[in-house]
Amino acid sequence: MRRRWAWLLAQAAAFLLALWAAPRAEGLWRWLFPGIARPVWESQSWFVLLGEHLMLSLGAAAIAGTIGLAAAILATRPGGQRLRPLLDAVFSLAQAIPPVAVIALALPLLGFGAAPTLLALVLYASLPVMRGAVAGLDAVPPAVLDAARGTGMGRAGILARVELPLAMPVIQAGLRVAVVLSIATTAVGAVAGAQCLGTPIVTGLANGNMAWVAQGAVFTAWLALLADRALRLALAR
Amino acid sequence: MIRFEGVSRRYGDRAVVDRVTLEVPGGSICVLLGESGSGKSTLMRMVNRLVEPSAGRVLVDGRDVAQAEPEALRRGIGYVIQSVGLFPHWRVAENIATVPRLLGWEAARIAERVDALLALVGLDPARFRDRFPHELSGGQAQRVGLARALAADPPLLLMDEPFSALDPGTRRDLQVELRRIHARTGKTILFVTHDVEEALVLADELAVLEDGRLAARGRPAQVLETGADRTVRRLFGEESLAFHRLGTLPAARLARPEDAEDGLPVLPATASLKQALMLMLEQGTDRLAVPAEAGFPGGTLHWADLVRAA
Amino acid sequence: MAPRPAALSARATPEAAAPPREATAVALLAAGAALCPFLLGWLSVAPNRLLSPRPAELPMTPAVGPALGLFLLGCLAMLLLARRERLLPWAEAAAALALAALLATAGLGARAALEGASPLARAMPAAGTWLSMLLLALAAGSCAAGRGGTPARFLLLSALGAAALLAAGLLDGLSVVREAAARGGEIRAALGQHLALAGGALALALSLAVPLGLLALARPRLEAALMAVANGFQVIPSIALFGLLMGPLAALAAAFPALRGWGVGGIGPAPATLAIAAYLLLPLASALLAGLRVAGPGLLDAARGQGLTSRQVLLRLRIPLGRGVILGGLRVAAVQAVGLATLAALIGGGGLGALVFQGIGQLATDLILLGVLPVVALSLLVDALLAALQSALEVGR
Ligand SMILES: Nc1ncnc2c1ncn2[C@@H]1O[C@H](COP(=O)(O)OP(=O)(O)OP(=O)(O)O)[C@@H](O)[C@H]1O
Ligand SMILES: [Mg+2]
Repeated sequence: MRRRWAWLLAQAAAFLLALWAAPRAEGLWRWLFPGIARPVWESQSWFVLLGEHLMLSLGAAAIAGTIGLAAAILATRPGGQRLRPLLDAVFSLAQAIPPVAVIALALPLLGFGAAPTLLALVLYASLPVMRGAVAGLDAVPPAVLDAARGTGMGRAGILARVELPLAMPVIQAGLRVAVVLSIATTAVGAVAGAQCLGTPIVTGLANGNMAWVAQGAVFTAWLALLADRALRLALAR
Repeated sequence: MIRFEGVSRRYGDRAVVDRVTLEVPGGSICVLLGESGSGKSTLMRMVNRLVEPSAGRVLVDGRDVAQAEPEALRRGIGYVIQSVGLFPHWRVAENIATVPRLLGWEAARIAERVDALLALVGLDPARFRDRFPHELSGGQAQRVGLARALAADPPLLLMDEPFSALDPGTRRDLQVELRRIHARTGKTILFVTHDVEEALVLADELAVLEDGRLAARGRPAQVLETGADRTVRRLFGEESLAFHRLGTLPAARLARPEDAEDGLPVLPATASLKQALMLMLEQGTDRLAVPAEAGFPGGTLHWADLVRAA
Repeated sequence: MAPRPAALSARATPEAAAPPREATAVALLAAGAALCPFLLGWLSVAPNRLLSPRPAELPMTPAVGPALGLFLLGCLAMLLLARRERLLPWAEAAAALALAALLATAGLGARAALEGASPLARAMPAAGTWLSMLLLALAAGSCAAGRGGTPARFLLLSALGAAALLAAGLLDGLSVVREAAARGGEIRAALGQHLALAGGALALALSLAVPLGLLALARPRLEAALMAVANGFQVIPSIALFGLLMGPLAALAAAFPALRGWGVGGIGPAPATLAIAAYLLLPLASALLAGLRVAGPGLLDAARGQGLTSRQVLLRLRIPLGRGVILGGLRVAAVQAVGLATLAALIGGGGLGALVFQGIGQLATDLILLGVLPVVALSLLVDALLAALQSALEVGR
């Protein structure tokens, strides 16, 4: 476990080092992309883009996690069972609409910038949390709940001390998916003007600058893989 | 019929079956008895090559099974397992017809065979033919499993704890049924169990396994003789060994050739000494009348003789 | 089918006439759908294509009145029909009726609102109308939730209704319909490209996932490697994967110019198809493996013990028993393929995404809608078709 964390930290350090080195490695980019006049991305610092990317995706994941968990708790209470069909309908409809479509549809209403992306992020990231939490809470054996009631615990006590702890692994798995999904969807948000590691990709595509595309793509993919690994490690028992 | 010659099977450096040599005579029921993990299933599965021996060889009808093509070999050997393994998406009739269909029988012949087999295992063909496995009780499913194994009329049946998951009553019914079917068909049956009662009910031949080694073998009475092997004593229970032994001995042999007094409880000549003991305890008597039967002139069984025989 | 213990037990109790679980959600959604346009507006009108639209009143002409009435009636019918378990399919149909009536209301209203205005003026549904459509779709989905989740009846009826309204010219006043008429050829071409992208990627992914999945079935090492790679692809953001594939493919095309003839290059459909296929690997492979393992160890032992060859075990046991699960994976993958193909336009791969990104560039709502609506319709259609196939197979066993 220790060794894995150390290894992960080393990878994160390598990532940051690469971000620092990217604008300074003009020779490398010129060698890789000989035909491109300005292969170095200089519009913004990579660290600013990274910061914006993380703020947007983690912020959205936090909001989505809260919404998703609340909805799941509501839907698994006896009175909330009636919400289930609605949740099911939202799930199947959301599957049919790709996130980029939501971003595009929200664009005329919310304007260029981070807002359309944030909306899509919250919508899509809350689904895996909700699904995981509902599945986890549903899977608590009735006998356990019965035993808990038998010891005289109240409803809130049962939820906090029995149901949520038992459902936690599934909820956490849902959260991991939500965070990874957020990081990926944030990158798409660049097409609607959200500042993030996807910005150089979109800008590069618009200007035919493959060097920017490649740099943005490498750093975006790297960030996603790092985040995934870190979350898996943090949630591993 | 089946010969295991110095057969071993190793997983890693552990011998799960260790140099077993055993002969199963044709037409007999041979029971492999042993604790969980003693290697019974592994030994049995070498016969139809679901497991390959690491050393030694297995002969069926004098031919080394290693020379046979595995699928063809298996189609000629009936196979029944504890989990039954009926194919859930096929009806009972289709399940029973598995091997005949693989062998390319005609539809009419298959249909006829299916009905005959259902009747043989005690299920009404009209009622059960078109059911799906999930519409059967555990006992019914295992009867169908037995019918499926008998479908292509194989001379040899392998049965791996087929009745272990059933309730005691159903299990006893099926044991009786199996003996009946065996008497009618004369199949050679290799039967795995860890239940000593079941072993004694069924076995013509008994082979006791411990840690992959053959600890004892022979007719049940031989295996349970006084001073039996340590493994056998442990398996059958030190304190009930004598009782089990009574179960392997026929009552008629001990009866004194004297005319029975009137009013004595009557014991059939084919009963075992265990049944005689139970009847005496139940009726509170020390003598039983054993009426004459084919090959037995009739007589009286005494408590003292019974106790001495145990 | 997801089991529904609560609903089943409710059905078994004597008071089976009590409203089903779906009733509450459908009632709320129907009421919301009926109110939304009144609260948030029916229509917006813009003097021309460049100026932004402003809210407009719904003109109550003799044509609009009946359509509006039908819409409200549909919502009410939905609310009432959903109170009986038996009538839920009819509630779903009522949702389709309400949707068609809502479209008609908006279309006729737009036509009336533009009467006498300049030919450049444009009318479009306002936020209230859009939201109402969304709520109707969710209401229909809620009605269908107990039966596997795809409101096929609603989708079919509303598609028929919309087509009839379009054919009758009742929607001609809406700017998106005008835009569609002007760009008919472009849309058809984009749709064709989109289908080719999604279908090609699905075929490519299947041609990898099926043989690898079959091989991995009995090889834990290969399975671990396959799953690790497939998982890795899922984690990489799609836009980054598109970008990452461009460089190598451009280099490949530069080194072997003959490949260009096949469409291989840094931009275009080739990198897009590859990238989409990479995402489909996980749902396809994991569902395939899970499906092939539905037949458990006991069953496989019995089958092999009776002399079935491994090919027969696969064809007669593993596939028939696992086909529901396998098809479920195919369904997920196909829907994802349709969605992901939208991004292909970013790297010159064409498809409906081209309209979306063009619309984003011009901030033109109609253009965005012309791209998004067919994508959504296509995903829903693919999903409904495969769901129907899945349930047909499940019933047929
Ligand atoms: N494929 C295998 N790989 C490794 N070990 C195995 C394998 N198959 C069986 N074994 C081991 O061999 C031993 C004997 O197994 P076997 O199934 O023959 O026992 P058994 O006597 O049939 O037991 P039970 O009554 O529980 O069925 C067990 O310890 C088991 O763990
Ligand atoms: Mg066994």
